[in-house]
Amino acid sequence: MDLIVFYLFATLAVIAALGVVALRNPVHAALCLAVVFISLAALYVLLSAPFVAAAQVMIYAGAILILFVFVIMLLSPGVDQGAGALKWQRPLAAVFGLALAVELILVLASAVLPAARGQYTPERLAQIGDVQAIGALLFTDFLLPFEITSLLLLVAMVGVIVLAKKRVRS
Amino acid sequence: MPDAQTLTLISPELLLSIFGLLILLVDVIWREKSQSALPWLAILGFALALAATLYIWGSNISLFAGMYMVDMFSLFFKVVASLAGILITLVSIDYLRQRTPYRGEFFAIFTFSILAMMLVASSASLLMIYLSIEFLSYTSYLLTGFLREDKKSNEAAIKYFLYGAVTSAVMLYGLSLLYGVTGSLNLTDIAAAFSATVDSTVRMIALVSTMLVLAGLGFKISLVPFHQWAPDAYEGAPTPVTAFLSVGPKAVGFAALLRVALTALPQWVLPAPPPAPVKEIPLVLAVVSIITMTLGNLIALRQTNVKRLLAYSSIAQAGYMLIGVVAVNLTGNSPFSGLNGILIYLFAYLFTNLGAFICVIAIENATGIVEIPEYAGLVKRAPLVAALFVIFFLSLAGIPPTVGFIGKFFVFGAALREGWLYLAAIGVINSVISVFYYFAVVRQAFFEAPKDATPIRLAPLVTLSLVVSAALVLAFAIYPQPLLNLAAWSMGMVK
Amino acid sequence: MSLDPLVITIIEALVKSIVVIVGLLTAFAYLTLVERYVVAKIQSRIGPNRVGAIGPIAVLQPIADALKMIFKEDIWPAQADQVAYTIAPGIAVGTALVAWAVIPLNPSLTIAGYKIDFYIADVNVALLYLLAIGSLGVYGIVLGGWSSNNKYSLLGALRSTAQMVSYEISLGLGLVGVLMISGSLSLVDIVQKQATVWNVVWQPLGLIVYFIAATAEINRLPFDLPEAETELVAGFATEYSSLKWALFYMAEYINMITISVIASTLFLGGYQGPFGILPGFHWLFLKIAFFIFVLMWIRYTFPRFRYDQLMRFGWKVLLPLALANIFVTAIVMVVLGR
Repeated sequence: MDLIVFYLFATLAVIAALGVVALRNPVHAALCLAVVFISLAALYVLLSAPFVAAAQVMIYAGAILILFVFVIMLLSPGVDQGAGALKWQRPLAAVFGLALAVELILVLASAVLPAARGQYTPERLAQIGDVQAIGALLFTDFLLPFEITSLLLLVAMVGVIVLAKKRVRS
Repeated sequence: MPDAQTLTLISPELLLSIFGLLILLVDVIWREKSQSALPWLAILGFALALAATLYIWGSNISLFAGMYMVDMFSLFFKVVASLAGILITLVSIDYLRQRTPYRGEFFAIFTFSILAMMLVASSASLLMIYLSIEFLSYTSYLLTGFLREDKKSNEAAIKYFLYGAVTSAVMLYGLSLLYGVTGSLNLTDIAAAFSATVDSTVRMIALVSTMLVLAGLGFKISLVPFHQWAPDAYEGAPTPVTAFLSVGPKAVGFAALLRVALTALPQWVLPAPPPAPVKEIPLVLAVVSIITMTLGNLIALRQTNVKRLLAYSSIAQAGYMLIGVVAVNLTGNSPFSGLNGILIYLFAYLFTNLGAFICVIAIENATGIVEIPEYAGLVKRAPLVAALFVIFFLSLAGIPPTVGFIGKFFVFGAALREGWLYLAAIGVINSVISVFYYFAVVRQAFFEAPKDATPIRLAPLVTLSLVVSAALVLAFAIYPQPLLNLAAWSMGMVK
Repeated sequence: MSLDPLVITIIEALVKSIVVIVGLLTAFAYLTLVERYVVAKIQSRIGPNRVGAIGPIAVLQPIADALKMIFKEDIWPAQADQVAYTIAPGIAVGTALVAWAVIPLNPSLTIAGYKIDFYIADVNVALLYLLAIGSLGVYGIVLGGWSSNNKYSLLGALRSTAQMVSYEISLGLGLVGVLMISGSLSLVDIVQKQATVWNVVWQPLGLIVYFIAATAEINRLPFDLPEAETELVAGFATEYSSLKWALFYMAEYINMITISVIASTLFLGGYQGPFGILPGFHWLFLKIAFFIFVLMWIRYTFPRFRYDQLMRFGWKVLLPLALANIFVTAIVMVVLGR
């Protein structure tokens, strides 16, 4: 059952990801990206991380991507004609991308990757709840990164407002 | 809730966070009335952070489940960061007054960028390294584009941001590979996981991910081929920010590089006893170093804008510093461990380059001049600036009696000790090349007739910071002992 | 006959989904009728009283409406983006429907030894699931507006993006107080914890913030800027006709029911009722009816916000209120030692 769901969403994610790159209409590409995010969220659920799944949909598909779409619609860049100064880069990019893919597959196929480790097994998570586990970790072991993230976001927000706001304070 | 000891050990960071927020708050509440007080608030914050750093001087402890190291290595960078903060704030006051109405936000963001420098220096986990480098990047992008009405500043910020976003994605990819193959975010645990395995593919992954991480850090340090942003960003950014960009991100980029290389990947980086061949990572770094210094110096020869000239010069300087990383060897009691060379070099470079930029700011503030041909006859118009230019350029080129010479001495010395003869030779040749363009500026300033002979009036704060940095450059050259001790102590982190 | 438990689970979920969907579609149909009567009362009119009238009530009106809608011509605007134009109404309705998967409608019953839960899934991140699904709902409107290849539609889409992204934050933060009190994200848990005291007693501000933000999320007046007919014809739906338009219409009404049921579940104790009289579902129905009535009441009493007022209200009033609510809740909880 889990395996069927995995293959279903994994295939969907890969196809949609190809769509993001291949489709020439930026809005369609953005939609494919939304499908990628949602498929990934489904995979997270399979990995007993429903919190990450919900956050993925809410933040990436629901907030970040919708802002992308907003900007795309506002600028309405039209359909990419595939021409332009960077055309020669396309075959090059394909070659390098393929090389990277082959390399990764070879490495993953031959490496003895470490097994899952750490104290948070699926059974333990089911018992304490993954939201509770994440919450507890965020406020104990990962307190410092958590607080720094809040400062980082504050600074980014203040900075963006200063750079983008309309009226200039005299 | 962290205990009192932890809070004391991160007090420099806490102080800067508090002062950054305080500046934002004061700016919002008192608006115009507070404008002239805000930079002084920032300086107070840096001074207190410096005092706090000195108070916990000598600590060697890891905090937050091994994520954060408070050791001499990081404290060294914290001292450097606070001093840079004070100097740059001093010269920003006059520069910003005519150029932007958002000075409160500027000083707040600047305080946070110094905070980010401190965080990078102490980070000992992949998560913290990535997060704090991103923090530093965001603040740098914002500061670069801070002059919103100035097209060049906008262009600079966009280029800087696009480059930064791509390289940081590449770096994140590398970090995730490291995490995937070792199952740990903690640098010491990663080293342990690597030494526990004999699988040859693990070695491959370690190499690949190191290269990817190098892309992100190389961007911060402005190594070739990740340097293209530097000239444009340096030229367009507000000049005090350029001064910051040329020292801050570069210094902590090296801090992160050294921390990752020496803590997480020692077996891939540190040389094995003689019969063993040279390892791949140092070899790659050596090649990058050669390309970086040569390219930086050759292109610098053709620049006419002094900010672009210093940009290429700082790319070249990154190449010299990288020699130290290539030649790191922590065995034995040699005074040339490579590591101390980089630290001394960084310290020297910091004040020298800051000084050179303060000279540029002094002139730009008074006259708006940034083109080298217009520097003609500077010695008649602003004798102090012209004289100090000579000192800073001597130091950048590595000619005694300046602190720059001591830095180069230890870095090249380490290369010779480790048998990187050709690397040291290319470094020396490049230093000779650099003299040409540094002294092209000096020639304009001293031997050409001025088109406009009106004396240039310097703002008192700028003069003060000029004199301070020049004094540091000369003082540490004449009496380098504290610097040598400092750098030697900082190596405690890997022993 | 013995069945694989997996098959039973799947069949059970399917049956429940069908029941919920059919129930919602019926509710949608009659909600349109109810709305017409409410507005008629507010505006001192009589309301529909012709089609299949039993006394003053036109019982067959929704069916007549549906038939009319189906047989209208389906118009394709020139240069419309075919794919997006077609799937947009589907996304709108789909997201409105799937939110119901996690909402408990009644206490569990045991009939003939078989335990029946009146929810499709008890997910332990149900609250986040609702927010996530809600945040996807905007895609229907945005795509519909963009793909119509019409200025008014595009403006409507842009407005709705900005509006929904802005109010989503207050919406989520308004619910955090409830989350703090109940210590769980599962709606089943949250309802069970309200057996004695409803959350609204501790979280009145949370309810107000949530309800206002949710009204904005579903583009009901006074937040209906994406379709403001006096300015944008019909906003994102300008070009839509026939069944596709009906789907948007359906999404709007199902969303009304959804936000009402979420408000009832999180703040008014869901199916929990006082004194043990009446089975649970009736209580939930009454609470939903109450919130829907409030929505209609607001719609026909308030004028529409201007765009800048909308943004100012969202960011400078609602968001600080939501944050203050969390702050105060946290302090009170620490002081009371809970």
